[in-house]
Amino acid sequence: MENTKENSFVRAIKSNQGLIITILCLIALPFVIALINGQSFSSLLANEPGQAKFYQGLIIEIFILAIYALSYDLLFGITGLLSFGHAMFFGVGAYLTGILLKSFGWTLLPILGVVAVAGVVMALIFSIVLPRVKGITFALVTLGIAQVFHIVIQSREMAKFAGAEIGLQGVTPPDFLNPISQRLRFYYFGLVAVFVVYLFYKRFVDSPTGHVCIAIRENEDRATMLGYNTFYYKLVALIISAITAALAGVMHGIFSPIIRPGITGSGFTIAALLMILMGGIGTLNGALIGAATFKLLSFLLEKWFGGASQVIVGLVYILLVLFLPYGIVGTWRLRRLQIKQGWTDLIGRFTGKGRAESS
Amino acid sequence: MKNDHILITQNLRMEFDALVAVDNVSLKVRPNTIHSIIGPNGAGKTTFFNLLSGNLSPSAGRVFYKGRDITQLPLHRTAHLGIGRSFQITNIFPNLTVLENIRLACQALGRGNFRFWRSHKYFKEFEERAREVIQQVGLEKETLALARSLPHGGQRKLEFGIILAADPEVLLLDEPTAGMAAEQVPELIQLIRDVQKAGNKTVMLVEHNMNVVMSISNTITVMHQGQVLAEGTAAEIASNERVQSAYLGQLYGDLSGS
Ligand SMILES: Nc1ncnc2c1ncn2[C@@H]1O[C@H](COP(=O)(O)OP(=O)(O)O)[C@@H](O)[C@H]1O
Ligand SMILES: [Mg+2]
Repeated sequence: MENTKENSFVRAIKSNQGLIITILCLIALPFVIALINGQSFSSLLANEPGQAKFYQGLIIEIFILAIYALSYDLLFGITGLLSFGHAMFFGVGAYLTGILLKSFGWTLLPILGVVAVAGVVMALIFSIVLPRVKGITFALVTLGIAQVFHIVIQSREMAKFAGAEIGLQGVTPPDFLNPISQRLRFYYFGLVAVFVVYLFYKRFVDSPTGHVCIAIRENEDRATMLGYNTFYYKLVALIISAITAALAGVMHGIFSPIIRPGITGSGFTIAALLMILMGGIGTLNGALIGAATFKLLSFLLEKWFGGASQVIVGLVYILLVLFLPYGIVGTWRLRRLQIKQGWTDLIGRFTGKGRAESS
Repeated sequence: MKNDHILITQNLRMEFDALVAVDNVSLKVRPNTIHSIIGPNGAGKTTFFNLLSGNLSPSAGRVFYKGRDITQLPLHRTAHLGIGRSFQITNIFPNLTVLENIRLACQALGRGNFRFWRSHKYFKEFEERAREVIQQVGLEKETLALARSLPHGGQRKLEFGIILAADPEVLLLDEPTAGMAAEQVPELIQLIRDVQKAGNKTVMLVEHNMNVVMSISNTITVMHQGQVLAEGTAAEIASNERVQSAYLGQLYGDLSGS
């Protein structure tokens, strides 16, 4: 009895090796960055300004984007619902957080409740058209709905709360999650958030409900004729996705010094699409890797090329889609065996030399 | 009166713009029989099946299943009543494994579909049943293969397995052997026969192979341009002058041999 329990525990660790290693690396990363920048650990723990803090911020933004990309992967990659209005979910989360903190002085917990409810309401609004439209029509309807929100949030009438086209500034974040004075804590909070959402999503995709969502993506008519009322499954996926994206928005609302209306626009939906395209559609892991690639790529290209970076970003995407049609994770899964073989060969060839050098 | 028949249609009619694909079809199907529908391409057989299964809703007329009017029933309810449907053009989940294709069919009518905090593996009974069905249709070796990697004949078997998995009372099979290699046909037909006999099921069959139809059917309905031209046993249909002269002879060749 004991023995089998231990075995299954060992097996669970073994089958999640990659995940565990990634998390350990991410836990250590702020310290590694500090080391590289010659910053002492005590100054790191005191959140003193410096390069290390800047890079923590960059990774926190990746965490937020990763949750946002996961939510889009559930909707589009797993369930096959192409939405062009996804940024609205994120934007509502961010703006609600900013407005409730700044203009109404709310604390974080009730804000989370309100945002979750808002997520459900938005999912229900999107779902009104679900039984009637499919494919690209659903995409266009969701684009329309999100565009209305995009215009309203920038309107003069809303300026008092949302700051019109400039964006919402001067939000006082909660003390315990202050992105400046508690950045390291925010970093680990973000890491936990990504981890929890990712595990929940993995579980969902592996559940009976998740399998039906995949069946709907693969052949909705067949799923219906098997006896599944596909509307309910799409609704469940939509609700989970909307709440998740809105919660990522909350993190953005707290972390970002300015909540810009751009995050509610179609460009930010396309960003989600690009992230999962790059990472690998419907793989969940791909959403995480895609978010990191997306953020690092735009950061580095902007640093190197400045104003011309937009064009180069576009070119890089075209190349990525051309040469990695299944995204990074999808292609990786296809090639895993070949790559494994390749590595074994490579390591075999350089074993002696490689070991001598590293010691 | 209605209850002597498991499936009844009353003056069923389907119009596509100006075209009347199914024209005033009234049909009664006895339980525990194999009831075939034959007729040339474009006769309206597939459209008629679509009306029975709820894929289309008729322009006029009604469909009764066990005395219950199911004309306006939503498509996903049909399976729950015990009606399974296969398609002339293979309709499966091409990117999922054979096991998952059939497991999904088993899960559809079971419990636990909305428990998204539990792994699907927790619901072992679906997988066990799926493996039984896979064995029944003879796809054990391909259990973990992707459906799209199966040869055409294998995909036809898989689709039949998907129907079987739900253990329906009525099977609507639209050209189940279409495109299959000739030597594979008898195997599938025998399987359909066995399933029908063993489970006291009702099979409605659209089939172009006249030898098969004549040997397997309790009742045959001949459709032509959306209408019922004749109905009867194999012998009656084979000797029906009207059917013969109208088109059977030219279309399916001489029947005297079979
Ligand atoms: N969805 C549709 N829209 C328009 N016409 C259709 C449609 N489905 C079938 N038809 C027409 O209805 C007639 C009957 O088709 P069908 O039921 O497929 O015949 P069968 O299965 O006997 O070969 C054909 O003329 C076909 O072109
Ligand atoms: Mg047909």
